[in-house]
Amino acid sequence: MIGRFRKDRKDKRPSPDTLMPPEGVPLTLPIAGVGVRTAAQFTDIVLTSIAAISLLVLLGTLGLLGPQSMTAIAVLVFFCIGVPYYVLAELAWNGQTLGKRIMKIKVVAHDGGSLSAHSLVLRNLMKEAEVFLPGTLLLTLDTASPLETAASLIWIAIALLVPLCNRYRRRLGDMMAGTHVIHLPVPILLKDMAVEKPQVETDRKSFVFLSHQLDHYGAFELQTLETLLRSRNTPPATAVSRQTEAAIATIVEKIRKKIGYAEPVPPQDRIRFLQAFYNAQREHLEQRRLFGDRRENKHYAQTNGDS
Amino acid sequence: MDSQDLIRSARFRKEREADWQRLETLVRTAESKGLQRMAFADARDLAELYRQATTSLAIAREISLDKALLTYLEALTARAYLCVYAPQERLGGLFGRFLKRGAPEAMRRSWKFILLGFLFMTLGALAGYLLYFENNDWFYVFMPSEMASGRSPNATTESLRSSIYGHDSGTSGLGSFAAYLFSHNTRIAIFVFGLGVFACAPAILLTFYNGLILGAFFALHVDRGLGVDLAGWLSVHGVTELSAVCIACGGGLKLGSAVLFPGNRTRADALRHAGRDAVKLALVAALMLVAAALLESFARQLVQDMTSRFVIGWGVGALWLAWFAFGGRRLR
Repeated sequence: MIGRFRKDRKDKRPSPDTLMPPEGVPLTLPIAGVGVRTAAQFTDIVLTSIAAISLLVLLGTLGLLGPQSMTAIAVLVFFCIGVPYYVLAELAWNGQTLGKRIMKIKVVAHDGGSLSAHSLVLRNLMKEAEVFLPGTLLLTLDTASPLETAASLIWIAIALLVPLCNRYRRRLGDMMAGTHVIHLPVPILLKDMAVEKPQVETDRKSFVFLSHQLDHYGAFELQTLETLLRSRNTPPATAVSRQTEAAIATIVEKIRKKIGYAEPVPPQDRIRFLQAFYNAQREHLEQRRLFGDRRENKHYAQTNGDS
Repeated sequence: MDSQDLIRSARFRKEREADWQRLETLVRTAESKGLQRMAFADARDLAELYRQATTSLAIAREISLDKALLTYLEALTARAYLCVYAPQERLGGLFGRFLKRGAPEAMRRSWKFILLGFLFMTLGALAGYLLYFENNDWFYVFMPSEMASGRSPNATTESLRSSIYGHDSGTSGLGSFAAYLFSHNTRIAIFVFGLGVFACAPAILLTFYNGLILGAFFALHVDRGLGVDLAGWLSVHGVTELSAVCIACGGGLKLGSAVLFPGNRTRADALRHAGRDAVKLALVAALMLVAAALLESFARQLVQDMTSRFVIGWGVGALWLAWFAFGGRRLR
């Protein structure tokens, strides 16, 4: 009973991947995991170190400065590729450092508003205690002093566990600044399958489906069919195409049996049949949806009966 | 196929597709060039088309079962959202606002925590001072050897005096010394601040330890009758530097207390709230450490007279205090 209650509550929480912008239409922005963020952090460290070292080598070979000024510049440069680099990069590139750009992830405000300079500064100040310090500790672990080693390991564990233990994968700096990190979505507009022209001549008869024949499937099946039709359009390799031919034959037969479509479909018309069925089924489902009857999958009748 | 033959959601898509594609190109330019460098008409269209796209997305979720369309619109709207709500402040304006209003107001709001920071430092100094007089060997316990640079209980009074009034580091090395101190001290301040979030304790310990070093060092010189001279030597930069450490500690304490005593908020919420002022304290501390490093490397070696050392050190301290007390107040 208690377990069920918990499960219910869990289901009611919004998915961590949605973000509510001020417009009030929830957007889907998938959370970036610990792995990709670590990768971005490594990329940043490697890139900035390379840049700093090559700058110093360049200055050294020019030989304009004495050794003491060189150390001064070196200390300053290595200070600047710490926290200041991350703050300025994220301010300039709207929440992305070089590593984040390469990994295609980005910092966003947790509440869906715009990123403020304050939160970017804060989340990167905390980086010193949360990323750089555990990193240095890990590199300088010393078996000679067990107490220090234990303390460092605990610290590293805390720094790792905090992001793993919350749904948004936020580290402490993120929590304080009210931010989290997301994957950048890539918009690719594919063709609408309902507009696709049938590739066959007009003299063949068209397929007609009756309303009761379209009551068997829901949105999930429709979209699976859509994916199948889309994959048909990409130029197939011969061995693979023979397999898909067989798969399509099975699917056509299955649909025919399920919806009770009496007429047999000749092999050359199978795709046309599927396309026609897709159009008719989509039109039907979308119409039902307008009347408030959402059919998520073919089991819609049972789930509606339960609730 | 005529558009009349199309099903409703396909018609919906056909009518808006051109707008979406224009939005996509605008988003691309905004991402590569930045909003500031876009033409006026483009920036205006971006905001307008973004709002249209959110409406389209809301409608499409209701009426359309075209998976390709839905994923495309989701991604496009999200990308456009990230462009439209990008931070639009210039860096210069940010710094100006921070110096004029943000920093002093944050300092005034969290004076209790800063006072606590000073308290821990003083307690540490007192403890170090008393412990030194109990047994000289405590000095070696507290003092990291590279910081003492030969000034230990074994040193003669003369050598101590000469390091206070001497030209121990030549003028050519001052620049590098300043840079070193700056990055070293700033990291300590960031540290004290960042550690505060772990329930205050590390920040308090670090500040206390800094106080211990100070106390033991001071006791050594008082023991040799050089107390006033050392006070002068330290005041030049110490007033600024030690205050900076205390302020950073205050910021850390503010975060730690939010974790320990969140009140009616959740802990994450309390942390976020406390962070607004705490981060400003950390930045103020960093700024003060820059000034301290400059004072330490230039003024301390160049000014040898004791009274002028006092005047410089405490004068600068008074200036900081004036900034914190009066900055950002409106005239009535």
